[in-house]
Order: sequence, then C-alpha cells, then structure tokens
Amino acid sequence: MSLLSELFSDLFASRDNVMTRLDPRVKVVAALALLVGVVFATSPVLPLALFVGCAVVAGAGGVPIRFIGMRLAGPLAIAGMLLLLQGLLTGTTPLWSFAPFGMRITITAEGWRTGVVMASRVLGGTGVMLLLSAVTPAHRIFLALRSMGVSKGWVEIAMLMYRYIFVLLDLTADVASAQRLRLGYSSVRRGMSSAGVVAGVVVLRAVDQAVRTNEAMRVRGYRGEIPTGVMRPLTLRDWLLMTAVVVAMGAAHILTEWNT
Amino acid sequence: MNRNHTQVALIGLTLLALSQSAGAMHISEGILTPQWAGLWYLLVLPLVAWGLRDLRIKSAREPFFKPMVGLIGAAVFVISCMPVPVPSAGTCSHPCGTGMAAIFIGPALTVLVSSIALLLQALFLSHGGLTTLGANVMSMGVVGALVGYGTFRFGRRLGLAGWLAAFMAGVLSDWATYATTAFELASALHGDESFWRLFGGIGLSFLPTQLPLGIFEGVMAAGVYQFIAARRPSLLVCLGVERAAKGGAE
Repeated sequence: MSLLSELFSDLFASRDNVMTRLDPRVKVVAALALLVGVVFATSPVLPLALFVGCAVVAGAGGVPIRFIGMRLAGPLAIAGMLLLLQGLLTGTTPLWSFAPFGMRITITAEGWRTGVVMASRVLGGTGVMLLLSAVTPAHRIFLALRSMGVSKGWVEIAMLMYRYIFVLLDLTADVASAQRLRLGYSSVRRGMSSAGVVAGVVVLRAVDQAVRTNEAMRVRGYRGEIPTGVMRPLTLRDWLLMTAVVVAMGAAHILTEWNT
Repeated sequence: MNRNHTQVALIGLTLLALSQSAGAMHISEGILTPQWAGLWYLLVLPLVAWGLRDLRIKSAREPFFKPMVGLIGAAVFVISCMPVPVPSAGTCSHPCGTGMAAIFIGPALTVLVSSIALLLQALFLSHGGLTTLGANVMSMGVVGALVGYGTFRFGRRLGLAGWLAAFMAGVLSDWATYATTAFELASALHGDESFWRLFGGIGLSFLPTQLPLGIFEGVMAAGVYQFIAARRPSLLVCLGVERAAKGGAE
C-alpha cells in the first residue's frame, strides 16, 4: 500500500520548476492537444516521439526513473499484448512464421503494422498523462477542469475523494498488517474472510470520517456547497503557450502523417 | 490444432500473463480509435449527468450527503486497489468495487464516483486513460453498477438473505464488467476480421482470472454487507440499503 500511496501522490508536482509553475489550464489544454494528436495518429512516429519526450521532460523535472518505470510497466505490457494480438489475429501476408512444439504460429505483416501503431498510441497517450500528473497537483487539475466548465458537483466529489483516499489507504494498510500478523492471510479462505473485514472496516471508517468532515465543514460555514476556489484570468503568455502547443501538434501531425 | 486455435490459445496465455500487471479491467490510453472513444463518451455523459442530478437533489435535502458520497467513493477506490490472490493464475488482481458501491449509494452515484475514480487512476496510476474514460466508465461504472444494483434488489425481493444478495451482486457485476470490456475491445480492434473471433479470444483470456476474481468480489461484497449489518445495521437503513425494522429503527 505504501507503494500505491507513493505512486498515487502528487509529491513531485509540488516541486518548483518551469513545468510546475505553468498555469494548470495551459497544461490541461496542452495535454488534450497532444492526446488528440496521439489518437488520430496512423503512423507510430508522433506517438513514440511524444512518449520519449514526455518521459524525458518528467525525468528532467525531478521525477525518479524508478517511479516513471513503475508507472509505465502496465502500459508497456499492454503495448506488447497489442502487438501480439494484432500480429496473430489480423492480416493475411505472412511476415514471420515459426513452429514451436509443432504448433504453427504466423505473424502477419498487416497485423504487425497495425499493432505497432496501436502500441505506440498506448505509450504516447500514457506518456502525456504521466507528464501532466507529474507536473500538476491533483487539486490544480480539478480547478482547471472546473474553470473549463466541468460540473461543480463533480469537482467537489473529486476533491473530497482525492483528499481522503490517502487517509483510507493508511487505515487499510494498518488493518491488513494486523491481520497478517494474526495469520489472516495464511490460506485463500482465511484471506477472503480477512479481505471482507478490511473492506467493511474501510466503509465504516469512511462513513465516520464523513460525519466528522461534515461537522468540521459546517463549523466553517458549509451549507451544501464546497468552495473550489477561483483561478486568476489567463495571461497573454498563457494564451500564446496554449496556441503554440496546439499549432505545433497540428504541424507535427501533418508532417508525420504526410506519407501515410 | 489448427492455426486459429493455436493462435487464440497463445493470445489467451499472453493476455493472462500480461493482464495481471496491466490493470486488465481498464482499456488503456490510445487503444480506441477517435470514433469509438467519442461514441463511448456520448453514451456515458447522460449517465454521469444523471448521477450529478441525483447528487444535487439529495445534497440539497441533506448537506451531509456530499461528504458521505465523497468518502464512500474514496473507500470504494481503496477497496478496488486491494490486491486479491487469484489461485488459477498464481498472481494478484484487483476487484472492481462498483457492484458494492451501487448497493450502498445506488447506481446513479456509482456512475459519478466511477468517472472520478477512473480519471484519478488514469492520471496517477496509468490504469486506463483519458481518451478511453468513456469506455471504462461504461464497463465499470454503468454496466457494473446497474448489474450489481439490479441483482441485489432482485435478490432481496426474492427473499434472499442480504449477504447472499450482496454476494450475487458482487459476482455478476464483476463478470458483466469484464464482458463489456471484452465487447468494447473487440468492437474497436476487430478491423476486417470477425468480431466474434476477437471477442471470444479476449473473453477466453479473461476467464482464468475473472471467474475466480468474480467469486472473490462476491465474497468481499458479502463480507462488507455482513460486517456492517453486524456492527452498524442503522447505516444500512440510513443509506436506503434496507428498510427499517418494524417497531422502530435499529
């Protein structure tokens, strides 16, 4: 659970550098533009370039390589899976063929090409999200979404959830450790029973915490609306930056898709 | 074994091996084409709006409701991150938690909470993605929640014990979530090939983990229900999960 807390926290986004100082709305719009470029790509060049670029910028911003690796492990596995899935199941022109244990396995050229593009899109998209979360604290992302028209109720619940996930993660880790010491996970059957108890404790504690949070908020004037804060107006520099990213993305898309 | 069978078996084994570390219930960023990503967003947005409407109405009546939904959403998120041993695969996976959430806060708010949880997972855990958020909310938040809630209410109407109805809700919501994910992936990826062949291949690859995981999810939902019914039965009445016993509140 501590690993999960570490992965889930926006610790690195609180550092002071060029990327973290940017307005969150600029970063969200830039991320959206890059994601649009990724999903519309029919060549692997742009998504792979974005993947490498985002990972390098995140690393340069002080995010440890180990952390980047952990975040990218799942998407890398999915990219590998897509390559195999497309290469084996689609297309007709044989590219590679081999027969381990008497079973004929053929990778097709069309499937491999499609798989490479899909895998690159997975990596490119994940890289963009990694960079956004590595340089923007969660509450700033929510504020940016709010100022871009996302419902107030959605943002309020998102902020509450993100705030209290860490409290409940710690509680879960404590209860699970206590159960493990008492051999609560020594067999699958005992493990299932113990996990049910942990989950029950987490739900009950969440309700207790909700009562306390509600009381604390009422003391501070809460009457059903949680203030989400107001963002300063965007400056000319912010507008220019957003426009530059969108234009650059469009140009990169045209350049990389020219031949395809 | 002919070519098709060999390749489907190989894909099944590959997916089984890879899906454990990849958060298999989430469709990853970039997999869906713009058309499919847009379609799932279009289908899901009215349902998220339904959740927001439910939240607005209930929190206008009782301001406590909003913190409670946020906290229960956080609890379900944490539960969905708990590693679960899958004996048939020899590894760990994660429960969805949406069936359980739907029992406690209803399907509309579960859709809302799922959309937030999935965005947080996409941002901070690289599970799922922003372009695939609509598809992931549809499978986990909408189908998982509706199946879980419907099963629980139907089970209670049939006179099943609360824990048994919760067990059924957990099992079926998990399996429905994975069936929908397989449908979404096969729809988007089959290209010129047969949709059913790819759907079968993906579904087959989910089976070894999802059959036991679904049962585990059912056990967990039943465990949570039983725990709360034993320790604080008034909470079940307060959340509308059960009716108050005749002759006064518990």
